[in-house]
Amino acid sequence: MKKNLRLAAGLGLSLALAASTVACGSGSAQQEQKVTSLSIVSGNNPWAAGIKKLLPEYEKQTGIKVNIETFGNEQLNDQYKVKLNASSADTDVMVYQPQDVMREFTRNKWLTDLTGYTSKDASWKWDDFQKPAQEAAALDGKIYGIPLMTERHVMYYRADILKANNIEVPKTLDELKAATVKLNNPAKGFYGITMRGQKVPSVTQFSSFLYSFGGDFAKDGKATIDSPEAVKAYTFYGDLLKTAGPPGATNMGFVEASAIFAQGNAAFYLDADSQAYNFLDKTKSNVIDTVAYGSFPAGPAGSKPYNIVPWVAGVSEFSKKKDAAFDFIKWATSEEMFKKLMVSDTVPSPRQSTWDDSTATAKFPAGLVKIVQGIAATGVGHDRPQLEQVARAREFVGGPVVTAIEGGDVASAATAANKSFQELLDKESK
Amino acid sequence: MSLTQAQRPALQAAVVPQKMRKAPTSRRIMTGLRVLGIIAVVFVLVAPLVWMLLASLKTSLDITNPARTFDFLPTLENYNNVINTQKFLPFILNSFIVAAGATTVALLVGVPAAYAIARFKVTNATAFLLLARVIPGVSLLVPWYYVFSQLGIVGSYGVLILTHIFVTMPLVVAILASFFEGMPLELEESAQVDGLTRIGSFARITLPLATPGIATAAILSFIFSWNNFLFALVLSNQETRTLPVAISNFTAYASVDWGGLMAASVLITVPVMMVALFAQKYVVAGLTAGATKG
Repeated sequence: MKKNLRLAAGLGLSLALAASTVACGSGSAQQEQKVTSLSIVSGNNPWAAGIKKLLPEYEKQTGIKVNIETFGNEQLNDQYKVKLNASSADTDVMVYQPQDVMREFTRNKWLTDLTGYTSKDASWKWDDFQKPAQEAAALDGKIYGIPLMTERHVMYYRADILKANNIEVPKTLDELKAATVKLNNPAKGFYGITMRGQKVPSVTQFSSFLYSFGGDFAKDGKATIDSPEAVKAYTFYGDLLKTAGPPGATNMGFVEASAIFAQGNAAFYLDADSQAYNFLDKTKSNVIDTVAYGSFPAGPAGSKPYNIVPWVAGVSEFSKKKDAAFDFIKWATSEEMFKKLMVSDTVPSPRQSTWDDSTATAKFPAGLVKIVQGIAATGVGHDRPQLEQVARAREFVGGPVVTAIEGGDVASAATAANKSFQELLDKESK
Repeated sequence: MSLTQAQRPALQAAVVPQKMRKAPTSRRIMTGLRVLGIIAVVFVLVAPLVWMLLASLKTSLDITNPARTFDFLPTLENYNNVINTQKFLPFILNSFIVAAGATTVALLVGVPAAYAIARFKVTNATAFLLLARVIPGVSLLVPWYYVFSQLGIVGSYGVLILTHIFVTMPLVVAILASFFEGMPLELEESAQVDGLTRIGSFARITLPLATPGIATAAILSFIFSWNNFLFALVLSNQETRTLPVAISNFTAYASVDWGGLMAASVLITVPVMMVALFAQKYVVAGLTAGATKG
């Protein structure tokens, strides 16, 4: 009896507490008839930094107040999962990384199918988006996001060092290897090459090597990272870092590896072109005047760098303002807007027409523009395994990279990794 | 053979200084060891803070260059960036409002609760309350978010304070319940003999004596709320964002602004240190009061 009384008292208290919070918050939950505001959530990327400055323009044109919130990469996905699990209508436009979360988000029915929207307005020109970008925005033939940026694998090198040593800019992977070995001088703290060597981060940068040796992560639901091509690619990647890389390479992601190049302590750095602007910032780089850009060197199967869309803008399935949300995306991804973003924040636009406009590309290093213009034919549209559990898969796929750098038995490491990766693929296909 | 009366004191005098000489040596060794121990512990605790402070005054280029650990040209550019470009000051205010609010409510409710738990027979209450600290926060977040967004109050200070009470209250109750239990019941009894009511004796006798305990609980709950990341990540908006969430913006997609990150970290740490130093006065006063009580 006494216990029940206490329970009742507790219940009463918590109800009172809940009621008081309701009283505090009522009023803001009213449904809007005419759209007067939109909420955008984005990762902290150059596109978001650029569009923030242009939002007052949109407000002036349409009278719609756009609120944008940005998060670090991991935090972005964490908060999406909580909010969307609760079917929240708070977010209208969702900026996300398609390769990491599009499969999961669409399976949970969190994203609006935008296929119909993209064909509605011919003047917006969906066709102008580069082909690989269009493909990256779609899953099973349906479009779930509009590409905001593109990114590809490039070869950063020190023009001054190569010139002083009479070395031609490498066109093939074998030439690259020879050059790195020749320039490597660990006694003086100078290394031939720096790249990611840490298990999970290295997967994306290993991908171009894999493709250029003729392999891929999987084909038709079968894991192929133990194929002879893949083993050769693993071995080559590991050898580069083992013979001419900095010590401790297996602990390096892009932050560590790029810092060595930025300090001026390495001749080559192979990574995404989105980092080019760090090397051109005098507070971050010693190599502003000496860094140069080359296409990804050719392997036995040619030069096949990844050419991906890191960020797309989608519309939340729970948004009550879907049409207004897409109108905003349309405005933000118009040719005119991308040209502005390219100039203000060097956003690598996914629209072909913007790269043909020399005023828009003026802020980009000339060597980089040439690579972007030429990559459409050879680039591969993914830089990591394509499945929902991509984070788990990267743990397996990255394993042999570490083995190769440490000089272990790559073939058996690849076989083991392939088996685990296959199990993951099987689980998902069920 | 026996010693004469005259010889004895002389011998003792000879022995005593020898003993006295010995004692200081071993004491000196002990003191030396203790100083070494203190230095080692302080070094481990302070080194990251010093590194953070130094890095906040460097460019990213100098931070990643080991040769420039101490030899660098200090710059205030990072602080300028954090305060003027990233507009960090409102986030400090937000964190302060939420932490102070959550601590105040936790104290208002938690102090009487802890007293009741200590003085009446409430079995396992503290253990049950501490369960709240064991439950992973994220498992609460989804239902919370659902309820709060239905009510349309996500992003308000009220929601942040309410959820942070979940962090601070159990802490306050757990610390103070054991503190009240340690206080002699006789004090209250004699107060009641002198004519005070139960509530009067609590307010006039027990509460003032519990100041050090309350100060400790307040500092800890303030710090826990100040550092809480998860609840604010989901339940705040751009205007009410707290510091730990705001700081995650320094790791961008393809670059990490180390200098800015460290400058922001310094700005996060300093207010907490000030609160701790301010409240420490009461903690120390309480400790000595407890010692003389025997």
